[in-house]
Amino acid sequence: MNHIISKTELSKFLKTISQFVLKFIFVYLVTISPLMAKTSVEGKWMLILNGGKGQIDNSVVIGAPTDNKAAIIGELSLSQINEKWMGHVEGGPVDVKIDNNVIEIVVDSRDLAGFVFFRRLKGNFSTKEMSGTFTIEGTTETPEAGGKWIAIRKDPNNELLPPKPVDISGLWTPAPGVDFRKYSMDLTEKAKLWHKDYIDHYDQPNVRCVSPGIVAISAWGAYPFEILKSEERLTFLYEVDSEVRRIYMNKKEPPAYYPTSGMGFSNGYWNGSDLVIETQLLEGNVRDFRGEPISDGARMHERYSLSEDGQTLSAVITLLDPANYEQPPIRRRKWTRNSSTEIYPYECDPDSFYRQMYDENKLEMYFERSHRRQID
Amino acid sequence: MNLKNTKLMTILLGLISCNSINAHHSFAVEFTAEKTIEIEGVVSEIWFRNPHVRYYVDISDNNKVISWDVRTSSPSLLVRKGWTKNTIQVGDKISIIGHPGRDGRKLLSVISIKLSDGSSLGQKYPKPEKLGKK
Repeated sequence: MNHIISKTELSKFLKTISQFVLKFIFVYLVTISPLMAKTSVEGKWMLILNGGKGQIDNSVVIGAPTDNKAAIIGELSLSQINEKWMGHVEGGPVDVKIDNNVIEIVVDSRDLAGFVFFRRLKGNFSTKEMSGTFTIEGTTETPEAGGKWIAIRKDPNNELLPPKPVDISGLWTPAPGVDFRKYSMDLTEKAKLWHKDYIDHYDQPNVRCVSPGIVAISAWGAYPFEILKSEERLTFLYEVDSEVRRIYMNKKEPPAYYPTSGMGFSNGYWNGSDLVIETQLLEGNVRDFRGEPISDGARMHERYSLSEDGQTLSAVITLLDPANYEQPPIRRRKWTRNSSTEIYPYECDPDSFYRQMYDENKLEMYFERSHRRQID
Repeated sequence: MNLKNTKLMTILLGLISCNSINAHHSFAVEFTAEKTIEIEGVVSEIWFRNPHVRYYVDISDNNKVISWDVRTSSPSLLVRKGWTKNTIQVGDKISIIGHPGRDGRKLLSVISIKLSDGSSLGQKYPKPEKLGKK
């Protein structure tokens, strides 16, 4: 028959096909697949460790954790520059490896006692979601188990919604979890230079009873605070350092010559039912225990969300200080409504600090470090 | 009510947490969290004030008196649990388990304190009690 082909021809045909398929797979793996990985992964994600998916609303995750432990949440951003993957969690740099659809991220964090440890996240990704497991590396004060993680594309929608104020007045006590407590931040050269010889137990403002300012206080997870509501103003009364903060809801401008200060000058508005606070006129200061600097004149953006049952208040706190940070540092906090407590007095006496300096013959050294306490 | 005579001196302080959660600087920098010691001595001075409550405790060692700076939490967090400025008084003999300061410094971050009547303050006793002494 004319249509019958010889075994040799069939063999050649099959060989040609298989070579074509192999070439296609090779080209795919070398060129197309990485491109797909790039387009699949680049951008901003919400990372959730040991938590339920919840609902994502402009980076505030509201939802009960699946394992009854508080979820840890952070913004992950990924980009590729010159074929090298760059990653940030909460504005701080992280190590990222991507191989086909497998991703590995290593995040440094600091626990409540000050121990620096690492969370190693491994998993798979698609265009919409990542998931996997994580392990803990390094010493922590309280042993922390690993667990599961997911990441969901962050909603880029920043639309300003009509105001729908909710009642957040009352007493709030800190709730566990939420914050990644990211250790390293993406400091500018100026900030690195300033920060390199910071010693927290000599230079931290509160060791000598000086308020650390609103950037640290707003993210401090130990003390309660109270919110008072009055016409065109919210007042936050913080137990720590007995600080008072006025948040003007009427677009009030700061008076002429109003100075920079640790508490700054705050205006607020409602974006839907979220309270947004913009703080300006911050004084040169440090961001937290690690002593990373805040420029004189830096700004802070906060977004507060009330849970549907009105019992939980969540906040995303972002420091805007491009002179010191290549990416804005982000902190998260959660509080529980607690009408059974009160704001206790907070009186501080620096005597014990100076006495220790004196006893250890370190007073001279302390005063020679005055430049550590003056930040431009 | 004389606190020394009561057996209701067990307080939940979660002191490790107290030390760290409200620490005004990094606990790990000043204290050896990986090491625990116990000291016994007489309270010579009390500072029930922020940034940290401090008890100065004198320890006799070969006819020498060595003073330790024993640190707990912030007053407002302690008094919420019933630990007031009168719970321990100057002259009290106490023994303290805690994390010592780094570099041999005579600092101690409290895990628990045992009073002379045998009652204790510290995280090992998970039942909160309101002591109520002002």
